[in-house]
Amino acid sequence: MTRMTRTVGIPLLVIACLTASAHAQSTPGRNISGAWVPMGAGRGAKIDPKIAPPAATPIVLKPAYAKMFEARRTADAEATKRGDAPATPAVLCLPYGMPRMMTVASYPIEILQTPGQITIVTEAFSEVRRVHLDQPQLPIDEVPPGFYGHSVGRWDGDTLVIDTVGIKESVPGYNLMPHSDQMRITERIRLVAPDVLHDQITIDDPVALEKPFTYTLAFRRLPNYKMVEFVCENNREYIDEQGRVRMKVGGQK
Amino acid sequence: MIIGIGRRKKRSNTLREPLKRYSLLAPEGSMRFILGRSMFVLLAAVVTGAVSVRAHHSFSMFDTTTPVTLAGVVSSVEWTNPHVYIELDLSEPVKGARHWSIELGSPSILQRGGWKFNSVRKGDKVTAIVSPLKNGEPGSLLTRITLPDGRVLGNGGPAGVGPGTTEPPARPSAK
Repeated sequence: MTRMTRTVGIPLLVIACLTASAHAQSTPGRNISGAWVPMGAGRGAKIDPKIAPPAATPIVLKPAYAKMFEARRTADAEATKRGDAPATPAVLCLPYGMPRMMTVASYPIEILQTPGQITIVTEAFSEVRRVHLDQPQLPIDEVPPGFYGHSVGRWDGDTLVIDTVGIKESVPGYNLMPHSDQMRITERIRLVAPDVLHDQITIDDPVALEKPFTYTLAFRRLPNYKMVEFVCENNREYIDEQGRVRMKVGGQK
Repeated sequence: MIIGIGRRKKRSNTLREPLKRYSLLAPEGSMRFILGRSMFVLLAAVVTGAVSVRAHHSFSMFDTTTPVTLAGVVSSVEWTNPHVYIELDLSEPVKGARHWSIELGSPSILQRGGWKFNSVRKGDKVTAIVSPLKNGEPGSLLTRITLPDGRVLGNGGPAGVGPGTTEPPARPSAK
């Protein structure tokens, strides 16, 4: 490398790298960093119907999975009817995993944009998912099944497209929907207004679903919100031998 | 969506009940707000199909239709997740028990409703309105609590309000 090349080339390289890393956030519509709350869950949420999320498409499951889905929904309804809390993994303080973690009650999520990675942290149960930017996705069979799987992302204009595979079967699906370990989650995340974010989620699962289905989550920006710690250290709810959710009382531990 | 105040009372219970049961642990003052926009909230839930209101568990094990008043001295406060707990030694037994456990929302949800981790302390004399467990055990879910200085706190607030936000703090619930 000549002196001239070093003198000119290295600063140019540095500038190019800085520009690339800053590009995602400086491009209008690509700055989605910050805290977001599921829409409709917060005081003062004024939602313009023009930016309301579209309705979900129908869930069409293959027969074996449809049966499982119906059994779960029936059990849930019966528990509620007899005055019990349905026994879900969350009762035992297990995290939700993908895709349910993206909306847990009225708890916010936080999106962090750094070079090469977007990180999403949820307040409920402090769940963390990492989205690797501009990298090829791994074959499903090479991803150890887990709660968050393996996510890769890329910007398509002002839309962040995330592909996630490797979610284990025991992780609860959309509204109790069962799924296989072959599930693929495709998200299209974009600002539909300066402070409104949509996450269009498409679930594709050739083992469980007859066809992919899509639903959209809407979030409202929470300026200056400080995420609160959530460590599930004192869980008084438990599931008894009859499968009913009980609460420990009187200082029982 | 703005719904006139005068229309609130006319709304049927079929709409109120699911919202009450999955109230996001909002205090009553906030509940009025939520009900004021209930048509929208319900619409949003239907449209998205995924805005679940359960975090850790549903509250169907508590009887929200027959509130119980508990007066006594706080024997412990646990400012923890997934729930905050207050243990109370009663001055007079209620439903045959002199000691009751009160479940609250999570610290995050309570902070939105104006709570601090030390709003209630061991030894405080308090009066709480609670929803008791349906199974008859002396456990309950807080509706609101009156502190020794007369302040009344509900069971949390909706998202995005309170410390660290630019929005107005949640209103304390009325007595």
